[in-house]
Amino acid sequence: MRRIGIWIAVGGLLLGTAACGSGGGNTGAGGGAAAGQTLAVGFVAEPANLDFTSTEGVAIPQALLVNVYEGLVKLDQSGQIVPLLAEKWEVSDDRKAYTFTLRKNVTFSSGAPFTADDVVFSLDRVATDWKLKIKSQLDVIDKVEKKDDSTVVVTLKRPSNGFLYSMATRLGAMFSRTGISDLANKPVGTGPYVLGSWRRGDSIQLKQNPSYWGTKPALSAVTLKYFKDATAMNNALLTGGIDVISSVQAPESLQQFADPNRFQTVEGTTNGEVVLSMNNGRPPFDDKKVRQAVRYAIDHKALLDTAWAGRGQLIGSMVPPTDPWYEDRTGDYPYDPAKAKELLGGKTYTVKMRIPNLPYAVNSAQVVKSQLAQVGITADIEPLEFPARWLDVVFTQGDYDMSIINHVEPRDMGIFADKSYYFRYDNPEFGKLLAAADEASEQDQADDLKQAAKLLSDDAAADFLFLFPNLIVAKKGVTGLPKNAIAESFDFTALAKQ
Amino acid sequence: MRGRTNAGLLVGGTLVGLVVLAALVSFFWTPHDPTLVDAARKLREPGGGYLLGADKFGRDTLSQLMVGARTTLYVGIVAVGIAALVGTPLGLAAGMTPRGWLSELIMRVNDLVFAFPALLLAVMLGAVYGAGTLTAMIAIGVATVPAFARVARAATLQVMVTDYILAARAAGRRRTAIAVRHVLPNIGSVLIVQASVSFAIAILAEAALSFLGFGTRPPTPSWGRMLQESQELLFSTPRLALWPGLAIAVAVLGFNLLGDGLRDHLDPKLSRIRGGEER
Repeated sequence: MRRIGIWIAVGGLLLGTAACGSGGGNTGAGGGAAAGQTLAVGFVAEPANLDFTSTEGVAIPQALLVNVYEGLVKLDQSGQIVPLLAEKWEVSDDRKAYTFTLRKNVTFSSGAPFTADDVVFSLDRVATDWKLKIKSQLDVIDKVEKKDDSTVVVTLKRPSNGFLYSMATRLGAMFSRTGISDLANKPVGTGPYVLGSWRRGDSIQLKQNPSYWGTKPALSAVTLKYFKDATAMNNALLTGGIDVISSVQAPESLQQFADPNRFQTVEGTTNGEVVLSMNNGRPPFDDKKVRQAVRYAIDHKALLDTAWAGRGQLIGSMVPPTDPWYEDRTGDYPYDPAKAKELLGGKTYTVKMRIPNLPYAVNSAQVVKSQLAQVGITADIEPLEFPARWLDVVFTQGDYDMSIINHVEPRDMGIFADKSYYFRYDNPEFGKLLAAADEASEQDQADDLKQAAKLLSDDAAADFLFLFPNLIVAKKGVTGLPKNAIAESFDFTALAKQ
Repeated sequence: MRGRTNAGLLVGGTLVGLVVLAALVSFFWTPHDPTLVDAARKLREPGGGYLLGADKFGRDTLSQLMVGARTTLYVGIVAVGIAALVGTPLGLAAGMTPRGWLSELIMRVNDLVFAFPALLLAVMLGAVYGAGTLTAMIAIGVATVPAFARVARAATLQVMVTDYILAARAAGRRRTAIAVRHVLPNIGSVLIVQASVSFAIAILAEAALSFLGFGTRPPTPSWGRMLQESQELLFSTPRLALWPGLAIAVAVLGFNLLGDGLRDHLDPKLSRIRGGEER
């Protein structure tokens, strides 16, 4: 479960720009490859290199996955797993063997054909050569075998509902056996785009792959332009330097883009739960009643309206609405300061609220502090430099009472099952539910996970402030923008300009 | 001075007085709780009990400005206090032993600190010890020490060649006694002017640090952070940036004019020249 650590780090760093979902299976515009059509998209974090097998962080798959590298499967906009390089797949009755039938006539951008050997090579490499903590997600694989040139059988150690989902992430990306000599600078994949040029500190250009197996994208090139400052990115769109802001970092500034003749706004959901974490391992939040009081004391609607301009969604537990086992848990703890005071029994507390110095956290913290003050809890806000200081003090040492962070990783409820995780939440029943869910049938899995989410909410293991919105602003006429950011990549395949 | 009103002193004094008054009143009364978040009052227009309106958190702007004045003065006083208490004795010592090794040592170390930008120092301290009002004050104070030391040294050098110092030395007074009884009172006016100017610089530095997120911790109101929080609303609600910006301008201008005015007022040479011109 330690793997989640880096994920949060990067997630917070990107402030939720982390992941952007794909459109449907096919490219949207249908305009074909009109020569010369290009787009520039603004992002907030530039990758240090282009090798996501050895470098943590969401910035690399955000640029390359689905666009340059493809997996056997991918996530669509609704969170469903759909075919990509595999035409179809079959699951054995004991749910331990997955037989993938591969697409034919697929070639890598180097010209090498894509075959079953590459699949075996790529999946075996995860265990042997990858350096990421998340690679443990594929530990469930027992062996990968080539049946014939276009058929691969993956055998699992035990049934796992998480396996296929992991295959839709960067872990399932397909590499060429002859194309991994310089992953950091020269990515070789089967995707619709290839790396054009990279001006470090400024931008990455992706060019259309002329030999792509599927529908070619409408654009001949996409430029990913990196900005360190939200206002600078806003200004770039206003002055025409870029065509799209991939994730708005200052939601109140959206009024600048209100003119429908010039701009459009796309608003959807992400996997990012903005969590008000409470240290379950030490007083006062080792007392369930105090934690519950906090949940009653916070007016989530008011918090969202003031801290993030009302953009986003109220959730109430650790499950985003795009997951199949989502239930609206916002009713569990309605805003009720009187009840909160009653639970506190007249006692007052002073707690340390150590937050990352990121806009959403600093904004939310001020609202939380004001609302907790109404029931007798004094929260001293201490913004820590992110990522280094916050990760060290709060995440690693667990020296905090309260914090606020956006947990962007997909399907991440499992972090609560690890009692050494910085929440210090310890309820064995929760862990049992999660373990059962991974091996259970699909229906039982959903039931188990719904129960787990309810348990988390009832125990007030943390408070769930809101779901971070996917906010994209683009020039009028740009089409194919992903509404929901639920995968690791920002999918450029459907983008077009009218 | 005599018979002639010093406009700089008057205007500067008034502006500083305004800031001080706002800060003092904020201890006893503000129109509303400056940190109370209320979604219903979000971006409320000025009027009806909210003279200057409310920000995106629904907090009253006027109350925030008043308490912000307190923060500003607090930082200014402590930072300038550190600088004066450390810098003046150093400058005195260096000025009284102009050719000694001590003087050299003090002034070279001084140059070293001088070369280090105050904001950089504050950001560094903030990263290491955690950002907050205290680290900001200390950083600004430390960075202002060299200015005080230099001014004190220059003034001391001038005083040391006067007849009364010679007389005191001839009378066998100890160095410390000379420093405290004879030098300090005579360089006091220069130091007061320097303090006033440094105060203005400290106010700007605090605002800049809070703007960058290395200054006063939220939600304690600070003019710099008010500016930063209004940044994304600059186009839709410009008044949110206008008021703290104006407050900073008033305070900085006030302390600069006050410093100028005090210099004119306290420096006998300058006033004699002025007097001569008038006649």
